[in-house]
Amino acid sequence: MSVDTTLEAPQAPTSGGVGRVSRVIGPVVDVEFPVDQMPDIYNALQVDITIGDATRTITMEVALQIGDNLVRAISLKPTDGMRRGSEVRDTGGPISVPVGNITKGHVWDVTGNVLDVDASTIQIDERWSIHRPPPAFDQLESKTEMLETGIKVLDLLTPYVTGGKIGLFGGAGVGKTVLIQEMIYRIAHNFGGTSVFAGVGERTREGNDLINEMEEAGVFKDTALVFGQMDEPPGTRLRVALSALTMAEYFRDVQNQDVLLFIDNIFRFTQAGSEVSTLLGRMPSAVGYQPNLADEMGQLQERITSTRGHSITSMQAIYVPADDYTDPAPATTFAHLDATTELSREIASRGLYPAVDPLSSTSRILDPQYIGQRHYDVAVQVKQLLQRNKELQDIIAILGVDELSEEDKIAVNRARRIQQFLSQNTYMAEKFTNIEGSTVPLADTIDSFEMIVSGKVDHIAEQAFFNVGSMEDVERRWSELQKDS
Amino acid sequence: MPASLRDLRQRRSSVTTIKKVTRAMELIAASRIVKAQQRAQSSAPYARELTRAVSAVATFSNVEHPLTTESDNPTRAAVLLITSDRGLAGAYSSSVIRAGEELNQLLRENGKTAVSYLAGRKATAFYGFRRREVAGSWEGFSDAPTYAHAREIADALIEAFLKPTEEGGVDEIHVVYTRFVSMLTQKAEVIRLLPLEVVEDTEPPSKSDVLPLYEFEPDAETVLDELLPLYVASRIQYCLLQAAASELASRQRAMKSATDNAQQLIERLTREANQARQAEITQEISEIVGGSAALAEATAGVD
Repeated sequence: MSVDTTLEAPQAPTSGGVGRVSRVIGPVVDVEFPVDQMPDIYNALQVDITIGDATRTITMEVALQIGDNLVRAISLKPTDGMRRGSEVRDTGGPISVPVGNITKGHVWDVTGNVLDVDASTIQIDERWSIHRPPPAFDQLESKTEMLETGIKVLDLLTPYVTGGKIGLFGGAGVGKTVLIQEMIYRIAHNFGGTSVFAGVGERTREGNDLINEMEEAGVFKDTALVFGQMDEPPGTRLRVALSALTMAEYFRDVQNQDVLLFIDNIFRFTQAGSEVSTLLGRMPSAVGYQPNLADEMGQLQERITSTRGHSITSMQAIYVPADDYTDPAPATTFAHLDATTELSREIASRGLYPAVDPLSSTSRILDPQYIGQRHYDVAVQVKQLLQRNKELQDIIAILGVDELSEEDKIAVNRARRIQQFLSQNTYMAEKFTNIEGSTVPLADTIDSFEMIVSGKVDHIAEQAFFNVGSMEDVERRWSELQKDS
Repeated sequence: MPASLRDLRQRRSSVTTIKKVTRAMELIAASRIVKAQQRAQSSAPYARELTRAVSAVATFSNVEHPLTTESDNPTRAAVLLITSDRGLAGAYSSSVIRAGEELNQLLRENGKTAVSYLAGRKATAFYGFRRREVAGSWEGFSDAPTYAHAREIADALIEAFLKPTEEGGVDEIHVVYTRFVSMLTQKAEVIRLLPLEVVEDTEPPSKSDVLPLYEFEPDAETVLDELLPLYVASRIQYCLLQAAASELASRQRAMKSATDNAQQLIERLTREANQARQAEITQEISEIVGGSAALAEATAGVD
């Protein structure tokens, strides 16, 4: 038996019983245990696999007790090489991950193995189980405060909540990951606290890019990254978000810090749950998802919350299959979020980034009580103009813009300026556009949109509003455009 | 499946209704345009003769008539905009209004104040929305103008012209209208009605032409007094008829392309609706099949 990092883990392999593999079906493994040593649900089991000269230790998680002294477990690694009759050790407890300062500046996998350096150089003092109860009801944070991002469309129309849950919805390739990275850059950079990033079932390359960017931005040393990407079996993708969350919870509960938690992508969590569910033989529910979809999502989301004084602000990317928002996976996630930012393919295809859909995105705190009357009024007026413009699109498509009444013509013109002005130069897009990103203070954002809505900038051509920061940039661009012509 | 089936069907039915309207408008415009075109053409000879007569009188009489003399320092100019009463005629009204705006700008640059006279509801709406002052407006005859309408407008314009500038009169009268070039081309044009620019149509008189010698009875001034209001009215009548023909032509064209656009939209929406419908069906079938297969497997395990 070779020495493996998992074996160095503090939990003694002798604490539970020893069983035998009785059936292997892909990532699902049935294990027979002596009747007095049956492992509990969620317990981690370990088995050694020898292929050729190499020996690996595989961790599995008990999912079902199916009777006849059998438990059904989900493997967190591929099960090739596993044989019937192999010895299986019950660790006596759930999967655990290292917590504390040691997690910062490193990359981890779902079972708490460090990936970016040699494991022997790392001193792990404390491990926490990844299955934990959510904070008690009386400990929840009741205060609401806005989190400024410096991105106009987000600050104006979907104000984010400090300590809240923010969802970025979008179909394939509309810019979810870029926006998450932009948020890491903007918020983590100015934030100074600890961040935790969970890469769930996304591209491994993007994880690599992220680490490089974080190192450049100087936030890597304050960030713990946990990856279970596309190539991992469903068991890993189902648990990796919990591993990251556990690390974040430690910073919140023990170190009393404010924590940022980024998850890319929650849909992969649901998808992994669906795969596992099918492998476990559960009856599929609507659209083939697992029957316990809402429960699984609830268990994860309810733990991501702020307790008195210490917050976890989470930002989650959510893939929308086939751009269909009524799909059960995104629909179940909606209910848990404080702010939802929906990215739209139609806007992305017009080259307006970030491609936030201003009409369907919203936030719990878009309410005069939290953000102030003026901000609220401007946001509502902007939405009204855009809605009017949308309603008129069919008429314009059929009869042409000349047939509109004078009021509608003005509404359409202003709405078009607003649409352009909602795009913004971002730091992450600098490599595509060669334009440096901009941060617009909230007050400037409100002022600028008020100017457009009230018609003070009707004389400025539309293209001056494209991909700029504040209204000053628009005016500068406009004077340049006039000089050129 | 970005939009729901119900949404798509709703949109499709509303586009279908719009298409019916535009199709009907297209046919109506097409049936009227022939007549309007004939009227516009048949008014041309009279207008030409009248113009010739007026220019003859003006050229050969050397009479200082108020309607022919240019003010030394023109400060106010009347602008008559001829637009349509109803919409759904493409860019017809807005291109006249745009030409009018350009003229106003030009007048302003020359230090003149534009006094607006409007024919057609579209112009009234445009000025009303911008809360601009309007000296006079007429509505309700844009697609079938008669001589009485032209007379009414002409009277108002001549009255303003004869009034001294200080009391709210004007020194010049301009007309912005749409000239009917052909069924496919209509052009927004500006002409100056008064003071008289004696231009006799397009062909210049050739050298060999013997210019007639006129005698005026009782005198040149009286003839001009009678002739000039007639001339103004006939020019306005000509413009109104040209504009009416242009309006119908432009409406027919606009409605034709609107119908085509609606048809395209209907096709797209139908396709999307069918896709959505099919997706729903496929979804349900696969759920039922998947569910029953799972059930069969479960019961097979029990047996």
